[in-house]
Amino acid sequence: MAVRADAGSRLLRLLAVLTWLARQGRAPVSELSERFGLEPDELIADLELAACCGLPPYSPDQLMEIIVDDQEVIADLGAELGRSRRLTAAEGFALAASARAILAVPGADPDGALGRALAKLEAVLGGRGMLRVDLREPAHLAVIRDACEAGRQLELHYYSASSDRESTRIVDPVSVRSIEGHWYLDGYCHNAQGMRRFRVDRVSTARPTGEPACHRGEDAPPDDARDSAQQTEAFVPGPEATVVHLAVDDDAVWIVEPLLTSPPEPRADGRTGVTLAVASTVWFGRLLLRLGPHAEVLDPPELADTGRQAARQLLDHYRSAPFR
Amino acid sequence: MVDRLERLTDLVLVLLRDQRPKSLREIASEVPGYPAQEGEARRQAFERDKRTLRDGGIEVTAMPIDGPEQVGYVIRPEDYYLPDLNLAPDEQAALNLAVAGVHLGEPSGRDALWRLGLPASAGARPVAELPALPALPALHAALRARATVSFDYRGERRRVDPAQLRFHAGWWYLVGHDLDRGAARTFRVDRMEGDVSAAAPGSAVLPDGFDPDAALPDVPWRVGEGALVTVVVRVDAALAALVLDEVGESALARREADGSVVLHLEVTNIAALRSWLFELGDHAEVLGPDEVRAGVLSWLEAMAGVPAAPEGL
Repeated sequence: MAVRADAGSRLLRLLAVLTWLARQGRAPVSELSERFGLEPDELIADLELAACCGLPPYSPDQLMEIIVDDQEVIADLGAELGRSRRLTAAEGFALAASARAILAVPGADPDGALGRALAKLEAVLGGRGMLRVDLREPAHLAVIRDACEAGRQLELHYYSASSDRESTRIVDPVSVRSIEGHWYLDGYCHNAQGMRRFRVDRVSTARPTGEPACHRGEDAPPDDARDSAQQTEAFVPGPEATVVHLAVDDDAVWIVEPLLTSPPEPRADGRTGVTLAVASTVWFGRLLLRLGPHAEVLDPPELADTGRQAARQLLDHYRSAPFR
Repeated sequence: MVDRLERLTDLVLVLLRDQRPKSLREIASEVPGYPAQEGEARRQAFERDKRTLRDGGIEVTAMPIDGPEQVGYVIRPEDYYLPDLNLAPDEQAALNLAVAGVHLGEPSGRDALWRLGLPASAGARPVAELPALPALPALHAALRARATVSFDYRGERRRVDPAQLRFHAGWWYLVGHDLDRGAARTFRVDRMEGDVSAAAPGSAVLPDGFDPDAALPDVPWRVGEGALVTVVVRVDAALAALVLDEVGESALARREADGSVVLHLEVTNIAALRSWLFELGDHAEVLGPDEVRAGVLSWLEAMAGVPAAPEGL
């Protein structure tokens, strides 16, 4: 027998289906199955079970009447079951934070339908004005999002932190989104001839070329592609990224936290062991500068000297630059 | 054998339906699936069901009743239903789009829409992804209830009257009035240790005129309580435009002929400034004041002196 969700989550799912049915009266099995993420046979089994529930009720208005066939569900559940139910703390937070995040997207209309919906929610749930989401607006975000929506090709001047170089690229934009505080453009890069991810705040100029975008994300990277560190660090790296182990003092772990590929592990020497994927020595050198004396490269040995070299290079720069 | 799902569904309907507390004996006679014999096994089965419902956000209330069993159970409608939200169709659709467009981990806003009986669709490409942290729902619930919260933070117990939960520059922050410090403080939610506990609803009282928006600075080098220093930084032509976009034109002191810019940054947290500077590599240089420049140089000198191949790890 296939593993099924536990009775508690099945109950919550079933109550959700019943709330929906109480409002709609009838719905195709296929629609319910898609809407609530249930296999049709699972859905039908749970509804048939619910049809036996609440019986025998003692007056007609308490009768749960559910008729299920292969195609459609017809239900007469009474108005009461169609009422909105209380949210758990986690659900209330998720809903309010989602609405706040979308309202924080530059260009959103605070007085539009979503703003009004959130105001009604907060009037009932409490917490008006107590949740705030800031999504910065980099200089070229609007141009890039417009081009993405209209399917127009872009020419970008882009600074890559991994190569420490600015380059000019022709990109067919596929999607623009904010991931953990930074805006990213995913698009087909004609120079690299493949899908790449660009940080929008590292774009110094963006201009439509006048050509339509010819790639529309058919070979878009999978959603979990961002799990490795450098994917959120400018260019999506190839498989050549090196796995690096560091020992980091506890009070400096925050610097590497967003980059970790696996959970940090306490070490016998009191420091924390962390693992990251490194695709660029320049980028890694700067990370080690930020960590300073609070980190040590354990592996691979050929990267053990990267921090010292980065420090020497920057020291040389300080000593040679005209002091003003 | 009655399926447990059936027993749970029946239990919810029976406890909601008549709006009067029912004894366990009454419940067992109306809800199929409990042990036929009165006794410990039936009691345990019922307690387990109550826990399952509570975990799902459905509160079963016990209250005194007349009769031999003395305790009755009911699901109060105010614990189960929300007051009507009266959402217009376009408002429902907008909420649905917002939930589909934001990634927040589990449980998702989709579960919330289901509970509200609103349409929820899946599969949209998200517009924004925010980190999901276990403490966030508890903090949000405490804010809504205006309840004082306490939590462990950097090895210390902190008591805070919460004012705002804010996502800023990639991190979730709690902004509030720290009861022991007697002042406004911000806390990184991901650095809270263990569970957040909340006092009674209404226990939090913010000082008059408390402005949560002013409590969290826009730039990392203002997060901290150090003395205010104006640090002069030069950024070369390659990154001048990008950095100006980040720090704002108000920090611009002058533009040089070679395309570089000189910035005046108001800093209270030198460590945060250093971390930001080093991300820019040799595109940025601290020009002054002397003690800040010297601090950066000694940090680099200490690093440059690290043995090339550390032994005996």
